[in-house]
Amino acid sequence: MTTLTAAPGVGLRPVRWSRLGWVTWRRYRFTLAAVVLVLAALSLELVLSGQHLRSAYDAVKACTPAASPRCRFLDESFHNTYGGGGFLAPVLLLLPGILGAFAGAPLVAKELETGTFRFAWTQGAGRMRWAVSLLLPAGLVLALLLAALGRLVAWHDQPLADAGIQSRLEPVTFSTSGVAVAAWALLGFALGAFAGVAWRRVLPGVASAFGAWFGLAFLATRVRGHYLAPLRTTSMQLSPRNLSVDEWWTKGGARVPSTQIDATLRSLGAEVSPHGVKVHVVPNSGSVDPIQYLLDHGYRQVTTYQPASRYWTLQWIETGWLVGLSVLLLGAAFWLLRRRAA
Amino acid sequence: MSIIEARGLGRRYGKRWALEDCTLSLPEGRLVALIGPNGAGKSTLLNMIVGLTAPTAGELTVLDGHPAGSPAALDGIAFVAQDMPLYRNLTVADMVHLTRNLNVSFDTAAANRRLADLGIDPKQKAGKLSGGQQAQLALSLALARQPRLLVLDEPTAPLDPLARHDFMATVMTAMAEDGISVILSSHLLAELEKVADHLVLIADGRVRVDGPVDELIDAHRLVTAPRGALPQGCDVIESSGSHQLVRLAAPLPAALPSRPVGIEELTLAYFRQGTLIGAAS
Repeated sequence: MTTLTAAPGVGLRPVRWSRLGWVTWRRYRFTLAAVVLVLAALSLELVLSGQHLRSAYDAVKACTPAASPRCRFLDESFHNTYGGGGFLAPVLLLLPGILGAFAGAPLVAKELETGTFRFAWTQGAGRMRWAVSLLLPAGLVLALLLAALGRLVAWHDQPLADAGIQSRLEPVTFSTSGVAVAAWALLGFALGAFAGVAWRRVLPGVASAFGAWFGLAFLATRVRGHYLAPLRTTSMQLSPRNLSVDEWWTKGGARVPSTQIDATLRSLGAEVSPHGVKVHVVPNSGSVDPIQYLLDHGYRQVTTYQPASRYWTLQWIETGWLVGLSVLLLGAAFWLLRRRAA
Repeated sequence: MSIIEARGLGRRYGKRWALEDCTLSLPEGRLVALIGPNGAGKSTLLNMIVGLTAPTAGELTVLDGHPAGSPAALDGIAFVAQDMPLYRNLTVADMVHLTRNLNVSFDTAAANRRLADLGIDPKQKAGKLSGGQQAQLALSLALARQPRLLVLDEPTAPLDPLARHDFMATVMTAMAEDGISVILSSHLLAELEKVADHLVLIADGRVRVDGPVDELIDAHRLVTAPRGALPQGCDVIESSGSHQLVRLAAPLPAALPSRPVGIEELTLAYFRQGTLIGAAS
């Protein structure tokens, strides 16, 4: 029924990407400026507090003799001041998810909400080229900005790792530095883009994207220790620079239930309170050291851990699954976009 | 030459058919008026023509055989959607530049000239323009794409009578100067009487009448006589005692008093009738 001249798209050159990029830039340059401004403010705070941290740590290191009360006091106050991670820690932890969801969800959802997609998708470029020129640069720029911030976080937290206050594998540093921070931002963005297209509304899109991101970030803190088979040690002096995964007691090579250990410790007059994976044992005054008692009686504590030296390997593993998931989500968003009817 | 070719076209949303079994062949170089009550399926048909909505059933080709929504179809069809969606926080100049960058062919000079003629300030934000100016901006952007087909979905509904007149004047000038085809949906019947060449009537998701306006006018008459007095083969569209609106199969006997009917009268009669009528011509 159709003639040869009717073959679709013959001789029609597509709209150039640079032109589509201009459109994205023109529409979102102020949004970008606002994001850069927020990140610049955070960076300034990180630089200032990083300098404080360094001078305090230098003072601790320079103090001699190390065993003197003055030096012990310095060391203790350094731990007390910087052990908590500061007010920036929760902000930095949530930032990739917040920025990602707020950047990703509205890009398409706002067009669907206001009806401007009827204008945008009926131009010569077509909706898929339009969507690619919108989502890909935005996602990449966000990931790069967060990667830059992550370098600053790594610099900032370095004395904490050196002083043994906080492992670089703890979530506070691990997911806010290295390449993982960029991947977490990309995931937030991809979740936002997908939720925005699925809901067709900005607010439900942002909310559900951030909720999902938060859930995954929480999940990651649970599975991170198992990306690689953890090492195990019976040393009681595991450096806090490593990330301990699990610990338990053994006797004669067999695992001893923790209830039995607790009962033994209580019989010695110790108070046992579970606190995370660690069990703090508070010896009563005058009695034997309960830990020493356990060791003397053939009990050994086994600790599994990820050594600090695996930081980059674990970073790339986490980045791998995050980027994979982000690509899947963006693919699903494009698939939904293609099918979306007016 | 046909600008739109639809065969058995349908679109379903959930269980409801917004448009069903639509077969159309619309001629090039005409102003086709798509008329129907709200919710009749006009927007659904237009959205399918411009590639925003994929058909659930049937076939739809545009611009001599290109599938709707294909690159060639998108390139050759300009669409002004209902309520003229524009990026409200961009300036008029930015909207022109943006539309140029979203299309292969775009006549920037023509767009700027047209906007200057209309007295629209390029530095003004699109969202700050009056309703009439927004409509003119949307239309100017669409025309600067030099389309073969211009699709307008209820373009004049939000406009005051003066703005409506100016808008239609721009459309008619573009048709005369550039020979573009226009499909326009509306439920404002009176304004279409003067401009439409071809009429498509849609109600309840079905095409009820489809044909050139003059043929439709010639084929219908309002007869002042009881129903029994009508000759064989007359199709009664609407009957009200002594008046019969009929579709003629053959010329009426000269003795029967009758008069021609206008588009508005004709359209209303078909909508009230509410039964499916085969396409005219």
